[in-house]
Amino acid sequence: MTRAVAPALEFRGFGLAHRRPGVEDVLLADVDLTLAEGRFYLFVGASGGGKSSVLRVLAGLVETREPAPRISGELLAWGRSIVGDDLSALQGSVAAILQDEGLLDELSPRENVELALRAAERSRLLAPGLLAQAGLVDPPARTAQLSGGMRKRLAVARALASSPRLLLCDEPTAGLDEDAARRIARLLRDAHEQDPGRTTIVITHDLDAFEGLTDGVLVLDRAARSLRLEAPDHRPDSKTAAAPAPDPVAGEPAPVHGLRRVLLQTAAVFETLVESLRRLPPVEFGQVARTVARFSTEPAPFVALAGAVIGGLATFFALNNNPVEGGFESALLTGTGKVATAVLVPLLSGFFFTARIVAGAAARLGTMKRTNQVAALQMMGVRPADWLLTPLVWGMVIGMPLVTFAGVVAAAVAGAFAAATVSGFSTVGWAHAWFATVDTRDVLVVLVKSALSGYLVAIACYHLGTGPKRSSADVGEAVNRAIVVGTGLVLTVHAVGTFVVYA
Amino acid sequence: MHRLRYSIGVLTLLAAALCALWFVRILKNQDERPGLSVRVEFRDARGLRSGADVRYRGVSVGTVRSVSIAGDGRKATVGMLLDPIGAAQACVNSVFWIVTPRFAGITTGASGLDTLVRDSYVTFQTPGERGSPLADGSLLAGREKPPPASDPEVLDEIEHGDLLMSVLVPENHGLRPGSAVIYRGQQTGDVRSVELAPDGSHVEVKLRIARKHRQTVTDKSFFWVARPAVTGALLSGFTLNDVSALLTPYVSYYSEPGKGVPVEDGHRVAAQPMRPSFEVAAVPKEALQPRPRPDPAPGANGIVVVRIVYDAIERDTWSADDPVRGEGSGLLLLAHDGRALVVTARSVVDGSVTTRDAFGRDPQIDDERTKVMLPDGSVLRAVRIWVHPDGSDFAVLLLEDVPPDLCASAGERLTFEGNESIVAGNVLRASADGSTLAGAALDTLSEVAALGGAVLVNERAVGIVGAGRKIVPLTSLPADLRPR
Repeated sequence: MTRAVAPALEFRGFGLAHRRPGVEDVLLADVDLTLAEGRFYLFVGASGGGKSSVLRVLAGLVETREPAPRISGELLAWGRSIVGDDLSALQGSVAAILQDEGLLDELSPRENVELALRAAERSRLLAPGLLAQAGLVDPPARTAQLSGGMRKRLAVARALASSPRLLLCDEPTAGLDEDAARRIARLLRDAHEQDPGRTTIVITHDLDAFEGLTDGVLVLDRAARSLRLEAPDHRPDSKTAAAPAPDPVAGEPAPVHGLRRVLLQTAAVFETLVESLRRLPPVEFGQVARTVARFSTEPAPFVALAGAVIGGLATFFALNNNPVEGGFESALLTGTGKVATAVLVPLLSGFFFTARIVAGAAARLGTMKRTNQVAALQMMGVRPADWLLTPLVWGMVIGMPLVTFAGVVAAAVAGAFAAATVSGFSTVGWAHAWFATVDTRDVLVVLVKSALSGYLVAIACYHLGTGPKRSSADVGEAVNRAIVVGTGLVLTVHAVGTFVVYA
Repeated sequence: MHRLRYSIGVLTLLAAALCALWFVRILKNQDERPGLSVRVEFRDARGLRSGADVRYRGVSVGTVRSVSIAGDGRKATVGMLLDPIGAAQACVNSVFWIVTPRFAGITTGASGLDTLVRDSYVTFQTPGERGSPLADGSLLAGREKPPPASDPEVLDEIEHGDLLMSVLVPENHGLRPGSAVIYRGQQTGDVRSVELAPDGSHVEVKLRIARKHRQTVTDKSFFWVARPAVTGALLSGFTLNDVSALLTPYVSYYSEPGKGVPVEDGHRVAAQPMRPSFEVAAVPKEALQPRPRPDPAPGANGIVVVRIVYDAIERDTWSADDPVRGEGSGLLLLAHDGRALVVTARSVVDGSVTTRDAFGRDPQIDDERTKVMLPDGSVLRAVRIWVHPDGSDFAVLLLEDVPPDLCASAGERLTFEGNESIVAGNVLRASADGSTLAGAALDTLSEVAALGGAVLVNERAVGIVGAGRKIVPLTSLPADLRPR
């Protein structure tokens, strides 16, 4: 160390513990350590020792809907504490390449980089340069077509878009062969050296790939719950790596933990509601327009078919099972028309829309959350609400009434057909009876009911989709819940709306 | 970390709890909405269910809250909540009953048929003389049957100019308020009430005859209660009359054309026990003539013409008495002392100048009755107070029992000077129902039609049409009978 370097990160009596019901897994205790600026550090330790947790704390990506890890002591970045309530204190200065890379699959590789550039308020024209620098001269059109190595390169290119002071990488060489791993390591080192003030911390198990490229090795000793800095050529001994995790210490009682979860979930619901209103004016116009178009058209044939079946069957049975032989047919048709138009078909259209759209939307959101795409958005400085929630709200608030209208029209057409078949009503005669008591108010009420239920369903879908996801099972569970809660909300809005207006 | 979030969570939960409480409160208030809680006892609740309507004049003004058996088990108590509107209408003498389908018999018909397809409901009536308002929690006795529709308010409103009269019948044959009053097979009015006389000697049926038909009732009209009757004899064959009264009895009457004078409000007449035998007069020839159309805006601002009907009897010593009848128009004005006068042709209202006795001498006229029908349809009695001394066809009637809001001709519309030689003008006449007919040139009118009409020159009344279509100028009117 020939030159004097300022500290980038300082741990002062730093402790980190995961809260679980009744117990705490203490990952770190009383860590005092200084990491100098401009260095390239490897971060090693046994699996499950808490490396990723430390990295998430540094990146400001602590899950907000679960009790936060208990943090003691201080953690300073460039002299500023980063563990207060403001978790995004370092936003803009930090970039993280998380496990699964968090690439946005719906965008092309180039668009991924462009989005990061735009969020960092830099020119989009820099994207090809960044891609070329990462070794992606002519990437495939779709992100999903990228190989494992190319995904890592793209992630690096995207992370560099914001020219971060602190670059964090979580297992960038995992799943790559030796050559590819070495190339990625080289790429990271090159990226590190672009900016002399940049500090890089790479979590890895593959020390060989980074041989000769590091300035120090951070070792997380699970048994000792400590973090220490070793020389670049340090190799953890097998004993340390295999050391059993220390026993958890007693923590908060389970009810307190449960209460924390409940309060955080509730706060998240509130936050989602507020966000949905605050971020209602679209920022990501393309996203909003695409979603509205998709939600308004995709379920329409399905819902129209359902509406036609309901309208046709209701008319058929009303007329065919007329208890008063030869009489009151117009009255029956009027009743059927009113109920079908104002109550039944809108409700069922809401159900079918929800089933058709919410499952897909919740699965997409859940997968994005699970594969760190949501975290990546946060990391880039793109509000997930702008990118995900606002399009969802607009799509559902506009799509639900439009699709409902399609259902109502289909029900009317089928009703006319059934009336003509069963009782020989002419179209004009049928229309007179069917729309006899349907007025503007009914149409307005249907509009309000479907728009309001669309809004609530969007909120529920977003809230459940972006909740913590540890596994694919969590994603599946979120989809299930989104459908159940969504249809429940549709039912509630329609029931309350109908009751308030007509009762 | 997350400290702020915990606070937001707590606040959101609190807000949600408050919302839930508020919602529960609203639901509870639904039950405690403002209104008057009343209990009514019936012998039989007739399947009434809680949630049923309470109606007043057919409008829902409350809800049945409970239906239970009274403590002693002899009555059913119906608890109901009246909305403020309903509470304002109910009072201690309101009559409550339960509406379910009823069939009261062939003469009074079925009622409550709307409950065949809907639930039974409770309805009430409040008599015109309202009692004190109901207190919350009042207990009333309900009626088992709907009250006879004695409340005239359930019938059509009486309009100004309608004739209100009574027909006294020895026995009611199923008449009830709303029953029709028929003239020549055409409904002209309805029965307003049917009441037994206090001494039980007869039944008084109050009728309303619509204004436009009131001239069909004269003091010579005869009334009967229509019910099917078979008349005739075995050999001559039978006649079946008034079969249409089989289901709904009605009051019928007949007036011989040209006989009698229109009656005033409050006229009382005894009905014939049975339909009298009479021939209905054939359609008169005049009816075939095109009818003068009433002018919607008579263009006679300030000039009021009225219809006059005169009726008298000419006594003959050696032969039967002859009826004398006169009809025509007249000009209504107020003398300077405020008396209401009608200026008309003497030949309308004086039998002594229109008839001669069997020997060509002055007749003996008795029983003179003069009625004046105002444009609003009301009928007033009048007496002749002045005739022109020089024999001109000019007479003045004095109206009796003048209503305070009488509308007479404006003084400035009448001309009382210098029109000795009027020979033509526009004539303003009153039609048979009192309304003013459009002005017509004198030479286009028949003598009978023009008689007593007001002659207008330059929109001012200058004279009266006398016999032979001669115009008698208003200058004939003595100065003390002229308007101020």
